[in-house]
Amino acid sequence: METLVGRGRDAIEMIFDAGSFQENKVDDFCITDAEFGPGAVIGTAALNGEPATVIANDAMAFNEKFPVVFAGVIGLEEAYKMAQAVYHTIRADQDKPLGQKRPIVLIVDTPGNGPGKTEEIFGMNKATGAYQLALAEARKTGHPIVALVVGRAISGAFLCHGLQADHILSLPKEYETVIHVMPLTSIAIITKQDIERLEKLSESNPVFASGAEFFYRLGGLEEIVADIEKMRDTIIAHVKEIRKLKAAGQDEKLGPWGRGLLGEDRGGRMARGKVIDLIKNEFDEVAERYINA
Amino acid sequence: MRAWNELQQSSFLGANARERAFGLVDKGTFTEFANPRDRISSPHLPVLKEAIEFDDGIVVGLGLIGKKPVFVISQEGRFIGGAVGEVGGAKMVYTIKLAIDLYDRMIAENPALPEEKRPAVIISFETGGVRLHESNAGLLAHAEVMDQFQNARGKVPIIGLIGSKVGCFGGMGFIAAATDVVIMSELGRLGLTGPEVIEQEMGKDEFDASNRAMVFRTTGGKHKYILGDCNFLVEDQIGAFRERTAEILALSMEELEKYRRIGSLELVEEQLKLVDLAVQLQPRDSKDVWKYFGNENPEGLPDMNFAEFMTTVKRRPENK
Repeated sequence: METLVGRGRDAIEMIFDAGSFQENKVDDFCITDAEFGPGAVIGTAALNGEPATVIANDAMAFNEKFPVVFAGVIGLEEAYKMAQAVYHTIRADQDKPLGQKRPIVLIVDTPGNGPGKTEEIFGMNKATGAYQLALAEARKTGHPIVALVVGRAISGAFLCHGLQADHILSLPKEYETVIHVMPLTSIAIITKQDIERLEKLSESNPVFASGAEFFYRLGGLEEIVADIEKMRDTIIAHVKEIRKLKAAGQDEKLGPWGRGLLGEDRGGRMARGKVIDLIKNEFDEVAERYINA
Repeated sequence: MRAWNELQQSSFLGANARERAFGLVDKGTFTEFANPRDRISSPHLPVLKEAIEFDDGIVVGLGLIGKKPVFVISQEGRFIGGAVGEVGGAKMVYTIKLAIDLYDRMIAENPALPEEKRPAVIISFETGGVRLHESNAGLLAHAEVMDQFQNARGKVPIIGLIGSKVGCFGGMGFIAAATDVVIMSELGRLGLTGPEVIEQEMGKDEFDASNRAMVFRTTGGKHKYILGDCNFLVEDQIGAFRERTAEILALSMEELEKYRRIGSLELVEEQLKLVDLAVQLQPRDSKDVWKYFGNENPEGLPDMNFAEFMTTVKRRPENK
């Protein structure tokens, strides 16, 4: 079967209106340095006739300045470039009403954040954190954000490029998509668990198993897009649904908190809600003492 | 547990999560939520025949600093390296949400609520990020924390404290970066990819994880203070962390905003100057960066005692 792993740019062509993608441009923001953060592709494309901000990974690019950044890795430049695209999207539509804030579409195919000494010296954690805060702000400002996993969505890189979206979609494993923190073999070594036992458990236990279907059961993504041909229409449908919820003031059903509720609906994360209820009750018992201190 | 007065003089590094939580707020004011008597633990660890703890490696609760309600989150490195799973993650997420909800409620009742009564959050980080035994749930909890951080913006200050053995790495590394203010001791370490993982992925030439001095030069409190990723460096003492936290929490939200490293387009542009510096300097060691910022004798900085370091060190000029 066809795969989009390593083909983030092709995915852009398949999803958006033909020939509409303008790379390195978001409203009046324009990146002219072609060597800046080449592992991240940002720009504007038309989605069903309306402008949308596109943020994708380019697994074929190599960042000459940062040798650990290749194969879709999000490095320092890449993460800040992605954050810039988001902030300029917010700025572009700042005077527009809620229903007219342009969508942001994240096309996800990344194996990780830059694992290098230079990255640690200068604070890779800030770069990925900056991108996440930007996405969270855009979501709360009213922009519908949809992430689509077309390839690899691994650990911290998925946290920054994907998990702050309103809705997350994924192609199924038949398209060679991978969603996890670490492969089972690595988890087995680090947790000192028997790999065969882990493999057997992972057939039924979504909490550490790898793959879109397990994330679905945990409420970690909203929908699995069964067919590559349906990517475009499914994204358009989710943008519409997200807009409807935002217009109704039901933001708590969207984003990471919404997926927490989804995890309970789907039976994958049952402890979360119990912890929240318990703490809420215990807080209510003592709250007055602290408010009127 | 040691008495509050004794905790004030005690090492922050050597204290467990509960001692830090009790000691960071005013004497006798801390109420723990979902405490061990509630017997809430991870449902996922027993499946893997792993031991559980009845706090799941994280202490959360509410205390006072003066009249201010201060929500405290304190991670325990002695339990699976302070890693975050479903239960511990939910404790963290909901404690932040409680602070924001309380702020909204108090402001609705009294729009002129004095600064000294407005809620705050402090987080004592000791973690490598996601707990691999329940990795997917841990990852999703991280995203929820960041979501709450953005909800807190402009309302509830979030102060990050780093000075415990495990440091603050993995997904929690960027959570710490997204706080309003970071306070560290020189023994605290902050980063994304831990030294062992870099060595494993990129080889010993990229990073020799057994070189302890270099590990501290790269991610330790003194380096992060010079660079500006840490706003305040304090001595390794619970009382020192508490006093600095209390001083910061006396500031208004607008004043606190100045200490942020990330969280706006302007700050991203500011950080990109540091990225340009990385390209220009091509440092093989943090000492190259210290020298660039005007430290004539970078070799001497790691061994200096706290007082000498504070009077000698030159930080990045833009730092707040």
